[in-house]
Amino acid sequence: MSSAYDVAIIGGGHNGLTTACLLAQAGRKVVIFERRPQLGGLAGSEEFSPGYHSSGILHDSSGVRPQVIEQLRLESYGLRYDSEPRPVLIPREDGRSLLLWSDPERSAAEISAHSQRDAKTYHQYRAFLQRIAPILQRVFTRPPPNLADLGLKEALRLGSQAIGLRLLGKSDMMELLRIVPMAVADWLGEQFETPLLQAALAAPALHHTFTGPRSPGNSLNLLLSETLSSRPLAGGPPALVVALEKAARALGAEIRADEAVEEVRIENGVVKGVVLADGENVPARVIAASCHPRHLFLDLLSPRHLAIEFEQNIINFRSRGTCAKVHLALSSYPEFPSHPNYTAARIRIGGSLDELERAFDPVKYGEMSERPILEISVPTVTNPETAPTGHHVFSILVHFVPFDLRSGWTDISRQLLLDRVVSRVEEVAPGFTDLVVDAQVLTPFDLEVEYGVTGGHLLHGEPAIDQLIQRPVPECAGYASPIDGLYLCGSGAHPGGGITCAPGALAAAKILRRRTGR
Amino acid sequence: MPIASPFHSRTAKLCSSNSWKDWAGVHAVRSYRTSHEPEYFALRNSAGIIDVSPLFKYDFQGPDAARVLSRIMTRDIEQLKLGRVAYVCWCDDHGKVLDDGTVARLDDDFYRVTAAEPSLSWFHRLSRGSHVSITDTTSAVAALSLQGPTSRAILLELAPREVEGLKYFGITTASLQGHDVWISRTGYTGDLGFEIWTENHQAEAIYDLLLESGRPYGLLPVGLDAMDVSRIEAGYIMNGVDYNSANHCLTEERKVSPFELDLGWSVNLDREPFAGQAALQRAIASGPSRKLVGLDIDWDELELVFDHYGLPPELPTAAWRDGKPVYELNGEWIGQATSGVWSPILKKNLALAQIKAEFANLGTRVKFEITAEYRRHSVSATVVSRPFFNPARKRS
Amino acid sequence: MAEKYDSIIVGGGHNGLVCAAYLAKSGKRVLVLEKRQVLGGAAVTEEVFPGFKFSTLSYVVSLFRPSIIRDLELPRHGMEIIPLESAFTPHFEGPGLCRWLDPARTRREISRFSVKDAEVYPEFSVAMTKTSRFVKAFIDAPAPDPTSFALPDLLQLLRVGRALTKDGASFLDLQTKLLTMSSADFLDRWFESDALKAPMAVSGIIGTFLGVRSPGTAYVLLHHYMGEIDGAFRSWGFSKGGTGQISLACARAAEEHGAEMRTGVQVQHIQVKNGRASGVVLENGEVIAAKTVVSNCDPARTFLGLVGEDHLDPEVIAKVKRYKFRGSSGKVNLAVDRLPQFTGREGTAHLRGDIAIAPSIEYLERAYDQAKYGEFSSRPFINMVIPSIMDPSVAPPGKHVISLFVQYAPYHLASGPDSWPQHREKFGDTVIDTIAEYCPGFRDSILHRQVITPWDLEQEYGLTEGNIFHGELTLEQLLFQRPMAPWSRYRTPIKNLWMCGSGTHPGGGVMGAPGQQSATHLLKSGEI
Repeated sequence: MSSAYDVAIIGGGHNGLTTACLLAQAGRKVVIFERRPQLGGLAGSEEFSPGYHSSGILHDSSGVRPQVIEQLRLESYGLRYDSEPRPVLIPREDGRSLLLWSDPERSAAEISAHSQRDAKTYHQYRAFLQRIAPILQRVFTRPPPNLADLGLKEALRLGSQAIGLRLLGKSDMMELLRIVPMAVADWLGEQFETPLLQAALAAPALHHTFTGPRSPGNSLNLLLSETLSSRPLAGGPPALVVALEKAARALGAEIRADEAVEEVRIENGVVKGVVLADGENVPARVIAASCHPRHLFLDLLSPRHLAIEFEQNIINFRSRGTCAKVHLALSSYPEFPSHPNYTAARIRIGGSLDELERAFDPVKYGEMSERPILEISVPTVTNPETAPTGHHVFSILVHFVPFDLRSGWTDISRQLLLDRVVSRVEEVAPGFTDLVVDAQVLTPFDLEVEYGVTGGHLLHGEPAIDQLIQRPVPECAGYASPIDGLYLCGSGAHPGGGITCAPGALAAAKILRRRTGR
Repeated sequence: MPIASPFHSRTAKLCSSNSWKDWAGVHAVRSYRTSHEPEYFALRNSAGIIDVSPLFKYDFQGPDAARVLSRIMTRDIEQLKLGRVAYVCWCDDHGKVLDDGTVARLDDDFYRVTAAEPSLSWFHRLSRGSHVSITDTTSAVAALSLQGPTSRAILLELAPREVEGLKYFGITTASLQGHDVWISRTGYTGDLGFEIWTENHQAEAIYDLLLESGRPYGLLPVGLDAMDVSRIEAGYIMNGVDYNSANHCLTEERKVSPFELDLGWSVNLDREPFAGQAALQRAIASGPSRKLVGLDIDWDELELVFDHYGLPPELPTAAWRDGKPVYELNGEWIGQATSGVWSPILKKNLALAQIKAEFANLGTRVKFEITAEYRRHSVSATVVSRPFFNPARKRS
Repeated sequence: MAEKYDSIIVGGGHNGLVCAAYLAKSGKRVLVLEKRQVLGGAAVTEEVFPGFKFSTLSYVVSLFRPSIIRDLELPRHGMEIIPLESAFTPHFEGPGLCRWLDPARTRREISRFSVKDAEVYPEFSVAMTKTSRFVKAFIDAPAPDPTSFALPDLLQLLRVGRALTKDGASFLDLQTKLLTMSSADFLDRWFESDALKAPMAVSGIIGTFLGVRSPGTAYVLLHHYMGEIDGAFRSWGFSKGGTGQISLACARAAEEHGAEMRTGVQVQHIQVKNGRASGVVLENGEVIAAKTVVSNCDPARTFLGLVGEDHLDPEVIAKVKRYKFRGSSGKVNLAVDRLPQFTGREGTAHLRGDIAIAPSIEYLERAYDQAKYGEFSSRPFINMVIPSIMDPSVAPPGKHVISLFVQYAPYHLASGPDSWPQHREKFGDTVIDTIAEYCPGFRDSILHRQVITPWDLEQEYGLTEGNIFHGELTLEQLLFQRPMAPWSRYRTPIKNLWMCGSGTHPGGGVMGAPGQQSATHLLKSGEI
């Protein structure tokens, strides 16, 4: 029997599009199904208020793997890097702010205004990160090791990674092994004395996690966020989606938006195709799912096709969203007393480790932070056309906000969340409240409903070490699931979430190595 | 500290030996008098009544009950007809046996499962997304096993209409002097027999009624020791004795497949997916590496061994369940006998054993280890068919 | 030059005494110096109030190495362990949850909260027992060094790797999860009822400055299952006559083999010349020479106190300084005139074991949250044991001693650690008030009370920052990193100076393993 499609892809987010492009480029007949009317998923742009556009739910594009851009020649579809260096502004209530640049020298100069000692340590900190970066990049740009079936080839590959680690030199290696299980508060606390700097460096380690600065193990998240990103894209994630979509169409992939897959059809343990919401049956020999693994295995498949242990592992895959997304339409750029007339494209709010920790505490009990920590991107600084002239958009990742708010998500609790976000910015930018023209609040609950991410988790599952080593669960850690022909290609697979294209690309490579005619 | 069974007020009074054991956390009589032998002979010659309430019981109700049970069991329960009981086992993902028991179909969408171990959590895991309610009725339903040649006559006195036509492995509702019960023609003795299932509040009344009606038919209360002798004669395996549930095994080696337990006949492979299906398909392709067999241990050799010490053969009167090694004739270890007994009716020394498959053919001679006068010896044993004892009345 | 001693052991805690006994047994001349009048360190029995003998600090024994009991013939010297019989968690309402040695009874107890959990409970112990077999190898051997290229180290690493992967990816996954998950999250994978999860989770936080939701706390859950495979006795027990009996038995064994003990002797510093230890100098100026010095003190006290920064590399100093102590617990010892009466439970069977005030995961986590910001928990986790119920020798007839381990009591109070004395009685009141909520009339049964804060642990018992384990048992301070790489095999940067305390591999608790293994390594080294 010849199927109409070689590969059907569930989900038209950036990873689904990446997989589609790479497979189409290799000559496969590909179709993509996207439940929402527009492509892009968490990377896509929305007009959240008339005239104001968001720059993706996940607004950071600096993690996109250059290899993918190169391989798909996305430059030819208009994609380019942002050439300006964009520092992060970390404002403080008393006006003593901090600007962090990707250039260590410039950052150290800023830090020395707070502490000479920290400025010096910061050099060592960045130098250490630079030395270990190749190791982490190696692990997180390649397919995961196949630990389930540790053959000679795998053992050699792992061995070579271990040797790479060993070649770091004894003291760096010891240090890396020591740091990975540590809490960021402990590791940063050992090195720096300035609370604002500690908080500024710690915050990215907490993003999308169920951890606070004192939670052991998130130093790894800090190392990853510091070593796996390069330059951001001009136009941010939405620009990536536009380029990928153009590439996909040019390469001959069929795109069917506004069509939800309701079921993955399986016969005798082999995928046969997908069934759409309207009942249409689309045969395909391979299915690649970029949706959340829990959604795929628990909603789209009949439980009969799953082994119990596997199903339990999927059920237990931790995916409790802790991040809400708030988009604010502003009549002008706010003024930060420390940097008058300065328009930072990135702003991070959270003044000390204790403040971060206190923001984390409530989420454990199903409550939201009273003083949340904010990661703000201002897309209108680089792309003024995404808002009316002179106006701005604040794209804010808000931590910590529970998926299952104990009192329930209502318009009242959403308003409360918005108020807390706005007043938190007001603390560091007096007069801010008056600039807010319109707002969109997406709680983790809303994010699940709108984007299908289970638990509202924007990374498709907690980026904890056990869920990174064999992501999402041991039985399908290498993109192939226990069901013949069914693959994962989204953020729930190695190397994890964020706008990277990495899982999509690695899954495509895996699918292309698939032996046919089984 | 075990708790009382619903029949405790009755059994405690009758148990003059004070010989009790802990059966799944419930007080259970080993033997009512010092020796279990009279109880055994009642099972084989007249009738015995055994409190089997500690069995775990689960009620499956709802439109998907049969579908879910078919996903759990190695046997296709969707084929089970109303009023019938099926002997079943169930496996984990790797095709290793978790437990064995029975499924009775009480109504169109109503099934009752008996199990040796608590299994609710496992059943729940396999019912996600299905329209079925699974209730643990272990402590709500009391159970009596009425076994032996006169058991039918006893029940005919009480419920002639229902019992008359009740076939082997059939189940029916009945009214015993106004008490609604389920009666199934099942048991663990390999003889003609019934099991009576009732709600706890009627337990004592039912017990009294049966004991009273059974008096003219030689009915005796029977404990677990006598039942154990009869179940080995019948060739029935016991979870925790003849095999270990995969849930409790620390090593893979200890886990068994249904094929290794000679339960291949209860595995329906070609159907909708069920727990362990893929593994069982692979297992059947490669064939079992070991097998459960019956052993008949050579009496004459045994006698000779003891004779050497100037002793008559010394054998325990009760069934034993501490494993003993089994060897090839040349002395190589090939497996273990897991339980056994001197059969009072067959006058044979019998054992159930798991041995390497190549030695499992009927008639194969192997060596069985015995201890005589604190010294190890081995005597010959022959692989024989099970049941060891199989009276026609069991099915008639 | 002829020193009188082969080894001087600084600190007569149980590890020091175990080390001394092994060295003496091998014919070495050993001297143990203890600052306090009584031997045992944190494993002591003291008659704090007339007639009432308390295991002042360490109150239950877990994982004491059976090989030490055999090698040193400790029962002959008076050591006897009485296993705990139950694990009870009272609730505000109802009879709470009690886990017993009888599995069917435990199943019935758990069934009141969740039938599923009751069933899964034995499955959980099978999984944990499997893992314990794997972990046991680490306790009874030196920690493998992943950074070493030496052949024996590589082979050891290879063995670990093979053991991890031989059962396929799922065993490795389980190990990763145990090492890196929080105990609350890990238990969530198995259980649904808070009533069961909370008392199980606490074993992951005892002695640490972490909460049940902190990643990395799951692996300590294993401790409860380790004892099962040791074969000698169950995981948790009382030492007859108090925990001090263990120390005394070790001391007697050591003395029998010729070791000398001096108590009430404060070591002022360790004599170091040219990076080499040659003996100790006492407070009174007395100098005692020895071929080697073995410190039973914690790493901070050893290096920053007894050796002194002058003799150490800046890198070593930095490592010692960043080694985390931050004690998080206190102890309240009570003499009472009757047994506590918990709401909803008759009789005394449930008192013959471990009693945990741990009604829910949220309760425990909130207790931790307060500690993070420098307050002691207003409703703490409490581990209560009543040794006198099984060992009447420790209290007058009819009366009892109650030992309360209390967490969280952070050493670093917001108002500073030295403000603890001002808060001591209020802390004691908090503990009593907490128990009284489950135990009406408890307050009236109290005859005497002793409150020990982390500050007291440091001042009186020499436990830096009041850490009962000589440093946190977190992953970055375990195995080859305890107390610091590369000094994880009982040696120190100072020649002839060794360590034998809980600050070395495999860590804290009344386990004896650091003492035993340090002696083995020292004997093999040829330095004595």
